[in-house]
Parts: sequence; C-alpha cells; structure tokens
Amino acid sequence: MIYSFWIQILEHVNYIGAACLFVVGLYTVVTHNNFIKKIIGINIMETSVFLLFVSIGFVHGASPPVLTLGDTGGPFVNPLPSALILTGIVVGVSITVYGLSMVIQIHQLYGTIELDEILDTEESKDDSPHA
Amino acid sequence: MSGDNTNNDCAPCVPCAQESLFSRSCIALLTISFVLVGAFIAMTLIGDAVFYLPVLRQVFSFRYYPLLLVAVPLLSGPLQAALGYRSAWLRDLTAVTTTFVTFLFILAMYPQLLTDSIYNTIPAVFGYGLHFHVDWLSYVMVSVSGILWLLVTIYAHEYMAPEEHQDRFYLWMSVTLGGVLGTVMASDILTMFLFFEIMTFSSYMLVAHNESAESLLAGNNYIYMGVAGGLAVLVAMILVLFSTKTLQFTYLAAELAETGWIQYAVAALLILGFGVKAGMLPVHIWLPKAHPVAPTPASALLSGVLIKIGAYGILRVATSFFMPAAGPLMSRDNPLWNLSHVTGAAVIWIGILTMAVGVFMALQQSNMKKMLAYHSISQMGYIIMGAGVAAYLGYYGAMGFSGAVYHTVNHALFKSLLFMVAGVVYLRYHELNMYNLGGLWRKLPVTFVVCIIAALGITGMPFFNGFASKSILHHAIDEAYTYGHGSFRYAEVVFTIVSGGTVCSFIKLISYTFLGRCPEKIATVPNTGNRMMQMAMGGVAVLIVGIGVFPGYLMNTFIIPATRSFTYDPAFIDRYLVDMNFFNSHDLMGTVRVYALGFAIFFVGKKLHLFHLHLPKWLSVEYVMYKPLQSAVLRVSRHITTNYETKANNADVYIYAALLMGSLLMLTVFFR
Amino acid sequence: MLSLHLPVYALLAPLIAALILPLTTDGDSRQLRYIVGGAALCATALAAVSLKGTLGGDVYTYYFGNWIPGVGIEFVINIFSSFMSLVVVFISTLVIFYAFRNITHDLAQHLIPYYFTLIFLMLFAMVGMIYTNDLFNLYVFMEILSLTSCAIVSIKRKGRNLLASLKYLMQGTIGSVSILMGIAFLYMVSGNLNMSALAELMPDIWQSHSINVLISIGFILTGFGIKAAVFPLHTWLPDAHSSAPTPSSALLSGLVVKIYLFAAMKLLFQVIGVDIMREVGLQLFLVLFAVSGMIMGSVFAIGQTDIKRVLAYSSVAQIGYIALGISLASPAGLNAAFFHVVAHALMKGALFLSAGAMIFTTGKRNVNEFSGMGYRMPFSMTVFTIGAFGMIGIPGFAGFISKWYLGLAVLDGGHPWILLIILLSSLLNAMYYLPIIIKAFLCHECETVPSVMERDGLPATMWVPMAIMAVLIVLLGVFPQLLMNITGQMPHLFL
Repeated sequence: MIYSFWIQILEHVNYIGAACLFVVGLYTVVTHNNFIKKIIGINIMETSVFLLFVSIGFVHGASPPVLTLGDTGGPFVNPLPSALILTGIVVGVSITVYGLSMVIQIHQLYGTIELDEILDTEESKDDSPHA
Repeated sequence: MSGDNTNNDCAPCVPCAQESLFSRSCIALLTISFVLVGAFIAMTLIGDAVFYLPVLRQVFSFRYYPLLLVAVPLLSGPLQAALGYRSAWLRDLTAVTTTFVTFLFILAMYPQLLTDSIYNTIPAVFGYGLHFHVDWLSYVMVSVSGILWLLVTIYAHEYMAPEEHQDRFYLWMSVTLGGVLGTVMASDILTMFLFFEIMTFSSYMLVAHNESAESLLAGNNYIYMGVAGGLAVLVAMILVLFSTKTLQFTYLAAELAETGWIQYAVAALLILGFGVKAGMLPVHIWLPKAHPVAPTPASALLSGVLIKIGAYGILRVATSFFMPAAGPLMSRDNPLWNLSHVTGAAVIWIGILTMAVGVFMALQQSNMKKMLAYHSISQMGYIIMGAGVAAYLGYYGAMGFSGAVYHTVNHALFKSLLFMVAGVVYLRYHELNMYNLGGLWRKLPVTFVVCIIAALGITGMPFFNGFASKSILHHAIDEAYTYGHGSFRYAEVVFTIVSGGTVCSFIKLISYTFLGRCPEKIATVPNTGNRMMQMAMGGVAVLIVGIGVFPGYLMNTFIIPATRSFTYDPAFIDRYLVDMNFFNSHDLMGTVRVYALGFAIFFVGKKLHLFHLHLPKWLSVEYVMYKPLQSAVLRVSRHITTNYETKANNADVYIYAALLMGSLLMLTVFFR
Repeated sequence: MLSLHLPVYALLAPLIAALILPLTTDGDSRQLRYIVGGAALCATALAAVSLKGTLGGDVYTYYFGNWIPGVGIEFVINIFSSFMSLVVVFISTLVIFYAFRNITHDLAQHLIPYYFTLIFLMLFAMVGMIYTNDLFNLYVFMEILSLTSCAIVSIKRKGRNLLASLKYLMQGTIGSVSILMGIAFLYMVSGNLNMSALAELMPDIWQSHSINVLISIGFILTGFGIKAAVFPLHTWLPDAHSSAPTPSSALLSGLVVKIYLFAAMKLLFQVIGVDIMREVGLQLFLVLFAVSGMIMGSVFAIGQTDIKRVLAYSSVAQIGYIALGISLASPAGLNAAFFHVVAHALMKGALFLSAGAMIFTTGKRNVNEFSGMGYRMPFSMTVFTIGAFGMIGIPGFAGFISKWYLGLAVLDGGHPWILLIILLSSLLNAMYYLPIIIKAFLCHECETVPSVMERDGLPATMWVPMAIMAVLIVLLGVFPQLLMNITGQMPHLFL
C-alpha cells in the first residue's frame, strides 16, 4: 500500500540521505572547476558516509550508552560508530586542511584557482622543459 | 705505431713484430686444427677401439664438456674486451685461441657419443634447472659452428682492422658463440629459449655495429622480429608445459594428440617462432636488411650459423614434440603421426615458397651482399623443405631429415665462404655493386679460385659438397609425392627451377665481379695484406672440396647415427641411406639439366636485360604486411594518447564520473 | 629470542623517527642522515627477524593493549604480512638512502627533514596496513598513507606538482570515501569490524543480506580501483608519478599502489571469501579490467616523450599483471601475483632510480635527448637496461619468471586467450623500452663525450641502492626459487 511505502521511506531516510549526499558531493567534485568547490564536494561526500555510519548504530527503544548507578542493562545505542566517526571526521579535517594549503600555494603560483584557466596556462608553456 | 691499424684508410699496414707473431700463431693453430681433423677422420674410420688408448682416456671421458663449451666463450668475451684496451693483436689472438680451444673440446666430445649421449645439468636455475644433452644432431651443429667460428675469427682480424669499436665486436661475437652452443646443446626447451634470447640480443649488437642510420634501422627490424619470435616460442612453451607437464625434448606426440586444438597452436607458434630466426617466409624481411649492413665476419656467421639455429629448432621440435615414441607397433600409418603429417605438409609448402621467393629476389640484386642474403633465404628454404618432408613422411622421414642436416652443414660452409669473398672485395675496393666491378681475377687470384669453389658448391656440382645434399633433398621431395600427396610433384618442379636460378645467379656474380674488364678506379688500388683472410677462406674451401669428394663420410659418421636415434624406420634407413651411392647416373643427369637451365636463364636474362627489372616496392611482403602493421600500431597509440589521455587526465571528468557510476551500477545490479 | 612485539617495533621505529625529525632543521646535516639511516636500517632488521619467526607457517595474533579478541584491534602476523612488510621496509630503505643526495636537487634545504618525516609516516602506514586485522584500522592507516603519499608529491612546490597532487588527493579521497561506505555496509549487518570474525559470519550474512554484501563489494572495488590505479581509474597516476621527485616516484610506483592491492585482497579473499566471489561472477569482471589495463597502459606509454611519464604508464600496465593474478583467484594466480609484486617493486625502483640519476647529473628528461647516454653515464644506463629487460620479459631477469608463472596460472584457470594478451603486452613493452636503450648505447655522433667518471660520478648513497636492486633483479631471475618458496606459502592464507 502507498501508506506503507511512505513508512518504508521514512524508516530508511538515512540511507536515502546518505546516497543523495554522496551523489551531490561526487557531482560537485567532478563538475566544478573551482578548487575550493571541489574540496567542499569532498567534504560533502565524507559527510554522507559519516551520516550513514552513525545512523546505523541506532537501536530502536534503546537508551543512550551511559551507565548510571543501578542500571542493569537493557539495550544501549551502539557507541562504536560515533567513536569511529569522530576519527573519521578528524581524517576529513586533515584532508581539507592539506587541500586548502595546496590551493593557497596554487593561487600564489598561478593567480587563479579555476582549473580550466590553470590548464590553459600549463598547455601554453608545454613546449618548454618542465621541472 | 703498434700492430693495430685503426686509421680509416685501407692502405695495408706495415707488418711489424706483433703482426707476424699473430700470423704465425694463426697459421700454427690452423695447421694443428687440420691435422687434428685429419687424425679424427682417420680414427673414426679405423674403429672405435682407438679412442680407448690409455693416454687419451682421461681426455675422452671428461664428462662436463657441454658446460665448458658454453662457459668458455661466454667468459672469454669480456676478457677479450678488457684486453682490447691494451693491445689489439693480443685480443685477436685470444679470440682465435678461444675458438681453437672450443673446437678442441668439440672434437674431444666425440668418443662419448659413440656409447651414449652426454647429459649435463645445472640445477636450480629458473626453478627447473638448465639441462644440456648432446646427441648426434646437436653434435653436427656444434662441430660445424665450432670450425666455422674458428675460421671466421682468423678472417676477422684483417677485416676488422680499420673498423671502430672492435672490442665491442669481439665481445659480442664471443657471447654469440656461447649462446649458439648453448642453444644447440639444450635438452629442454626452456634452456634452449634462454640461450636463444642471449643469441638474439648479442647478434643484434653485431648487426648494429656500424651505428649508421641504416644499420640501426636494420637492427631495429632484427630485434623486434627476434623478440616477437622468441615470445611466440615462449607461449608455445607454456602451452606445452601445461598440457604435457614436461619441457624436455622427449617424444610427446601421444600426449599432444589428446589436447585437441592446443597441439596445432603449439606447432604453429613453434614454426613461426623458429622461422623468424631461420629466414622463413613470411617473416624473413630482416635478413636482406641485416646482412649488408653488418660487418662481413658478422654476416658470415649470421648466414652461416645463426639462421641454421632456426632450422635446428624446427628439426628438434619435429623430432621430439611431434614424434611418437618408438615401439614394437610403430609403423607408418600409426595415427600418432597425424600432427607430424599436417605440420610437415605446411612446412614443405612454406619451404618451397621461401626457396622460390629467395632466388627470384636474388636475381634482381646488384649489391653482392644483398644477393647473398637472398640466397641464404633460398637455401634455408631447401633446409626447411627437407625438415618438412621429414615431418610429413613421419616414419619414412629419414631422407628428408638427412637432407636437411647435410644441407645445413654444407650451406654453413659455402655461404660463409661467399660472404668472406664479398668481404675481401669490399675491404679492398669499397664497392659492393657487381656491375661496377670486373676483372678481379687478376688482382685477387686466390679469392677468385675460392669463389669458384664456393659457387660450384652452392650450385651442386659433383665433387663439391652441395651436390650430395641437393641430391638427398631431391630424393626427399620425390618421396614426398611417391608416399604422400601427389601435389608435391609441382614442388619438385619448383625445386628444379630454383636450382637453375641459383646457377644463373652465381654465373652472374662471377662473371660480373671477377671476369671481364677491370674498371679504371679499381685497377689502381694496391692489394696486399690479405694473407690471413686467404688462409681462412682456403680452409673453408678445403672442407668444401673434402666433403664433396667423400660425401659418404659425413653421412655414415654423423648423419645416419642421428637418424637412428629418432623414430625413423630402420629398414628404410638401411635400404636407402646407408652407403648411398651419390654419383649415380640419375642424379648426375639431373645436375646437367640444372646447369643447362641456369645457363639458359642467364643468357636470356642478359639479352633481355631482365636483371635490371625490379619488383615495384609496394609488392614486397614488407610493404603489404609489416610497414602497415608497425605504422598502425604507432599511429593508433599516438592517436589514443593525444586525444584521450589529455581529455581523461585533465579533468574531463564527465567520462570519469560515468565510469565510476557505471562500475558501481554493474557490480550491484547485474551481478546477482 | 623472538618476541611477539618485534613486528610492532618495526612499525614504531619509523614513527618515532618521523616524530624526531622535524627537530633537526638543517637538511644537509649528518645528524639527519644518522637518524634517518638508523631508523630505516633498524626497521629492516626488525622486519627480517620477524620474518624468521613465521617462516614455518606459524600464524600469530597480536592484541593491542591486551584487549580480548573481538573488542580490540589485532595484528595478524603470518608469512604474508611479515614478508611483505620486509619487502616494503627494505625497498624503502634503499630509496631513502638514495634520497639523501638526490633530493637536494629538488627540494629547498629546510624542507628536507619534513620530506623524510613524510616518508617515515608513509612507511608506518604501509606496514600497518599490511599487518592489521581490523576494518576501521585499515581505513585509518589508508588515510595516513593517502595523505602522506600526496604530500611527498606536492612537497616540490612547483605548479605541476601541486596540480598533480591535488588531483591525486581529490581522486584518492573519492576512493577512500567509497571504501568507508563499503565498510559501513558490512558493519551494518555484522556489527563487527574484525576481519577474522567477519569472515566467519560471512556465509550467514550472505544468506540473509546479500544486497548489503553486493553493494559493499561494489564500493570497495571501486575505491581500491581508484587508489591502486587499475585501468580505467588510473588517470591520476601519470601526472603524480612523473612530476614527483625521483625517490617519491620510486616509492609510489613500487610500493604504495601494491599496498592498496593487498588491502583489496584481504577484503575480497579473507573477509568476503572466494566462494561468494565465484557466485557473483566477479572473476571475469576483474580479469577484463586487468587485461585492458595491461594493453592500454603500454599503448599510452608508447606515445610519451618524458622518461618518467613512460615509466608511470608502464606501472599502470604492470599493475594490470598483478590484478590479473589476483582476479584468477587460484593458488597459481596468487603466487604469480605475489612474485610480480616483489619483482616489479625492484624493477620499477631500479628504473626510476637510474632515470633519476640521469636527470640528477644531466638534467635531461626528454627521451629524444637520451642519445649517447650510455657513453655519458654507463652505470646508470646499465641499471636502466636491467630493469627494462626485466619488464620486457627476457629470461634471466625477474620479470620473465613472473610472466612465466602468470602464463601457467592463466592456463590453469582456463583462459588461454589471455596468453596472447600477455604476449602482446610484452611486445608493446619492448616497443617503448628498446628504442630508449638503443638510442642510449648506439649513437654514432655521440663519440665526443667528456671522459666517463667512475660510476658516473654519483655519490655512494646513490649508486649502491641502484646496484643492489639490479643484482637482486638478476638473482631473482636466475634463481626464482628463493622467492617462490616464500610466496608459495601465501595463497593458502587467502583461499
């Protein structure tokens, strides 16, 4: 029934969101010429994976993974994905930082951060021996 | 000035102490060699007991001769290159001594072959070990290589004197000898492949020695085709190992017969791979380019020995991989001979084609060395045809086998002699075009006599060596249509015509080069300093005449034992091959016919100026097949690179993204 | 006395050196060389000793922090991981020694300590990736490797380097994100990140949630395909490997791309398992990509004029060989693939190092300017020739053995047509290596060169690694059993 179809969508909204973000990020990386936009695209892609990873740790009807006195157990939300994703976010940040520093260097060398303009410059001096 | 003559003009050098020391050593070594050969022949005729005299037993029972034979030239090459820095004559003397010592070892190996063939192994190399095995077929090849290398090295001293980079030449010549000996003594196909590649690469250095533009082009042609041929052999090797679990040259017809299409693929690849080396059509095009540009000693060795290795390879696989094991039930109609029949028929026709095209192209040439190169192709056609008959007739193939082996020996001798003659002419007069020469019989008398001997040898005059092998090959092709398919009658017709063409071509060579009137610019060139070269050429000529006068000796001592070691009908061998009467009337009449045909073609050709006609350039195999292939590969690579590489690499990423998404999609949706 | 900690020490030695190095500020000082050389040799010795412990086929598991299995991160020490980490560390040591003098031409003085820091971090990540048994740990090491390998390309700070490095970073990160996505899909249905535990759970997962496994295979293959430069996802490789400084090129081409292939193998064979792969029909799919890489890599290489670009495209083709061996998924195929990993690391290392030596001395990079290089620098050109002959497949050099065993493995797997492809790609290899060698050694107009110096005038730290690599190539070519005895024990760990 159509109603259960929408319930299905709602239950799996994290997968749909992750897939959409992944594709949006990929599209941004591959189509834009501006380097900063490419880096933003990479970040979007990483965000999509983090979203998926964290969301799959959720357990229905479970309590947050914090032990209180007298708590005998019962289902807890899985804390492991969150911990992993913290690491992942750090990795993503370091990639962004490194990429941005290279963009600064490129800007200093070429005066522009648009890929097509840089390629034109490179092709025009392609005859001279490069280092 | 020391004894080497490194200036570029051809003025004969003043003999000094070292030169005469070299000459005297060469004369001594050559005389010793001939005495030893004479003694050897005497001993083989007297009987085997002579070899067990106590004084010689030590020498004759040494078991590691094959390893020595391979190691000595390979090690002496760098030694010669190092010596060449100090003095040239010492290097040349070392080269001659090395080849002499190698020849001694070859002679000393003989007695062990009478009882049992020699096996040597170096374990653990390549994971399978290197295996050497000297049987009669290998021994024939080894001895002809050994004696020819000795004579050519003596010749090379005077010829190479005005050349540059002599150290490099001697280094690679020595390494090539090691490679050749290793190839023919190999007992499994992997060892043979190793030495085959060593031989190809070291002979490349001989071909490209002059470093002129056309030498480099010829060298490129040679090495690419050599590498391609080697790769074909490699693929065949892998298929054989996979299907039959062995690499040794043992009788594999039974195992191969069960593999279906693989046996035909193996046969085709092996014939093609070895055929590149042998100058077989259609992969012969490197030969006419490589021979004129290589220095003459290298041409003599290339034509004399190296292309025979290709034919040896075909013979070796025909007598092992395609041959069933002997047994009490072996007969001519045994179905295990099927692969041999099919392969043999194809090879016979390829051989006939090679013969015909070789002679036809040779008649058009004016460059002496190019003409001789085409004749090499033609004579290799004879040998390949003989090998084809051996495979085709299967159990009755002993005649074809003997013809092929005998012609290998003979062609090595007379072709290298012809190249040496051309080399002397070039060295003295810097002219290779026949039409610009003439009247040299007065100026180079020894060379003239030697050239006549070689020409009579190659054309098949009785009492010279070519007669015996051509008669055997003629018998072989007769048997092919007697016992086999009738269409080989036409093959015999082509055989006769090609022999006539050969006669004509050599009449042309001798009459234009040596007879007639001497042109002005040649008449005035002085002419001395040929002694060593004349001695070497004389040595080969003596061998040619010797084999020609006693053709049965070679047959009985070497070739018939070789045929007995394979699965050939012993009754057939006894009836037709043992004590064959070479000087029978049928063959002698055939020779007269061939000579008449040759003279006729020559006079018709001269009258109608047919020799100056040339095939249009676009009709050669090269233009039709190779040039388009090579330029296509290069063009396609450049096209793909320029158009797609920049697009793909420099972020034309729609393609990239499409590929990504496509691969993801394919993996998740289509593979369930 | 073999302690189980030794492999971890081999992992830590480069890390500690990497942390100390930024304290030395002068790039040309002996202090720097002692630290760097000492750390590299120390790591090699430790890796060699740990190999000795596993030669008998023993498998050890090292639990970090003594956490019980299933909770903590594990290292699996078997003959595969110890031998491959030895290979990695040994070749890196050779390249590091080579880089002492070579890098001074490419980098500013003050950047050299940071360069070695990056190389040691890269070494740390490579060894970690080989040993690890945990999926997310693999991802972390992979990211470290990815970043540092981009950094050693861009440290030269020329325009081309930065562009190439940025492209490598972008495409590499797309790959990493894909891999993480694949790991997520696997974690989703198993709740476990440990590879051995996942391998045990895999049959049940395949029964109940096959679509997860399929999606995960898809993402993982794509991700590793990008990072290991499998055709057609190789487009970042030519720019990155050709513009980088020579030691970086040698390390990248020879080692880094192989590590990603190892990680892919671990995931495909150990975690997902050969049975599922056969069911899905993955083999033929991968074989097609590998085979097209073998041909197209060489086709692109023929048209190149820069020597390092030729070598970079040649790497694409050789990675095709290794991918072919892996995709055959048989003991013979994996054996051939492992042999070729070591052989190619040595050959490509020798080629890059000798090309770098020629660029170091003469500054010439264009292939057309190589005429007479054999007279000018005979030693380097000989090493180049040995590497090139190995690539073409001449017997007597290591590359012939790997082609031989690959051919046998291909027939074993029932795909005889691939033999022709191997033949064709060898011919294409010959078409672009032989002209360089011929032009270098046989050049008529190049007779008038200055007198050739002893070993080309190269400093000892440059020619010794080249010589060692050349000797090893010939040694492995003539006695392949030395390596085959070890690599022969590895396939059963995967299949």
